[in-house]
Amino acid sequence: MRVVPSRSSEWVNPVTSQRPASAIIEIDRVSQVFQTSARKDHLALSDISLTIEEGAFVSILGPSGCGKSTLLYIVGGFVNPTSGVARMKGQTITGPGPDRGPVFQEFALFPWKTVLGNVMYGLRQQGVPATEAGAQSQALIEMVGLKGYENFYPKELSGGMKQRVALARTLAYHPEVLLMDEPFGALDAHTRTRLQNDLLNIWERDRKTVLFVTHSVDEAVFLSDKVVMMSKSPGRIRQVIDIDLPRPRRRSELLLDPRYQKYVVDIERMFDEVDETGSPS
Amino acid sequence: MTSLGAAVRRAAPVFACIGLLAVWQVASLALKNDSFPTAIEAIRAIPDILGDKESLINILASLRRMAIGFSVAVLVSIPLGLLMGRSRAVAAFFNPFLMVIYPVPKAALMPIIMLWLGVGDITKTLVIFLGVSLPVIYHSFEGAQAVEEKMLWSGAAMGLSPLQRLVRIVLPAALPEILTGCRTGLVLALITMITSEMIARQSGAGNILFNALDMGQYDTVFAMIIIVGAMGICLDAIFERVRARLVRWSEPQFDMPLSFS
Repeated sequence: MRVVPSRSSEWVNPVTSQRPASAIIEIDRVSQVFQTSARKDHLALSDISLTIEEGAFVSILGPSGCGKSTLLYIVGGFVNPTSGVARMKGQTITGPGPDRGPVFQEFALFPWKTVLGNVMYGLRQQGVPATEAGAQSQALIEMVGLKGYENFYPKELSGGMKQRVALARTLAYHPEVLLMDEPFGALDAHTRTRLQNDLLNIWERDRKTVLFVTHSVDEAVFLSDKVVMMSKSPGRIRQVIDIDLPRPRRRSELLLDPRYQKYVVDIERMFDEVDETGSPS
Repeated sequence: MTSLGAAVRRAAPVFACIGLLAVWQVASLALKNDSFPTAIEAIRAIPDILGDKESLINILASLRRMAIGFSVAVLVSIPLGLLMGRSRAVAAFFNPFLMVIYPVPKAALMPIIMLWLGVGDITKTLVIFLGVSLPVIYHSFEGAQAVEEKMLWSGAAMGLSPLQRLVRIVLPAALPEILTGCRTGLVLALITMITSEMIARQSGAGNILFNALDMGQYDTVFAMIIIVGAMGICLDAIFERVRARLVRWSEPQFDMPLSFS
């Protein structure tokens, strides 16, 4: 392991501090140590550096325990890295903010609010008047296909519908980056495919930057411009694969495309390798 | 058929009351004991108590102390419990105190409190306050602890400050659990109210009861028990109505059959 200065916020990497014009997120030599017990430290992330370009759909793929969600939480500002630094548009990330909108596997909806109340929440927080926020939220609810469910409570919705609400709730306050943490992981296969299609349709309209954590190879290939393959113990970036497939992507066409199939087969093989061997140290 | 079943279920508490009174009546007639009046005799004594100005003032004084003790306890306990549930430091500070106070019967503290604060309203209200606080703190604490971290993160990403997250996310998310604590607290308020009046006999519903006992007016004793019991049932029913309205969003949506039905 490389020695990383502990006072990470004051430390500037001479190479990466000159940020490319299109870079929106820079992860700069980030390491994360979790204390599992008084004596044992667990190195969840080891010296991760990654640049994400504006408007890119980037998936972080890896076996469970590789720290891929932790990396997303660091970008979200929910977790502070042990060393290294994450930047958003050149600014060091010190906490959560409305420029980075999370969507979690657990949905994390506000159960005491209706669908409309959930979607409006962020806008109201930003001081948008109720009628204006209501109109914008209504449009988003229609976009995610939940027209007619405005006054339902989360408990009355299926898992897929809850995740649609969660996506609309986050899109509502116009974050520049979407941080999606295995968003379709808790859904059944059919619902999952439908939400992937809908997410792509929505994304292809305004091409927001998306950081998408998943452990599904075909989900990563189908959605992304770039797949970041991680290995575990300690969590490291194994390889970054550009997915050079045309957009807009249609599932029916893509599944028959030999290039898509090759990406899936190659990445699956790599996944098997990292899952068996872990990170070379 | 189902509507008949529903009607029977709704009327069940009434049947239970009638059943209990009937058993009482039969038992009393069978035992023929002076200190055990029949149900009908006890019920006949109720209008006398409620018609007496002195008794009414006493009962209202009891209710006032109970209302003040309960309200202050709830207002203090909910924020404290929520803070304890979300901050390890706050929990670590208060937990030892609560662990010590929790198992002590609050009425047992009365002699000391009486010594310091006299036998008046303050002492009795303080005992009610102590009785109500602990279950409300405990349930608020449990409720706040159970709030999903990701829900708070979602709020933080929207720009909610830590205090806003506590008031606008932790409080509503923990509300079902908090209200469960308040319901227990309400019953405990009634219990501590009567107990405090038994110990510091100066005024109140408990005072009427024990004065009547001293004077051997057993029908009044039993009538007071019915009045206090009815007060408890009414307060609990009203509270349950309010609670159900406030947490409609969290109630299970289907009526699942119970395992043993």
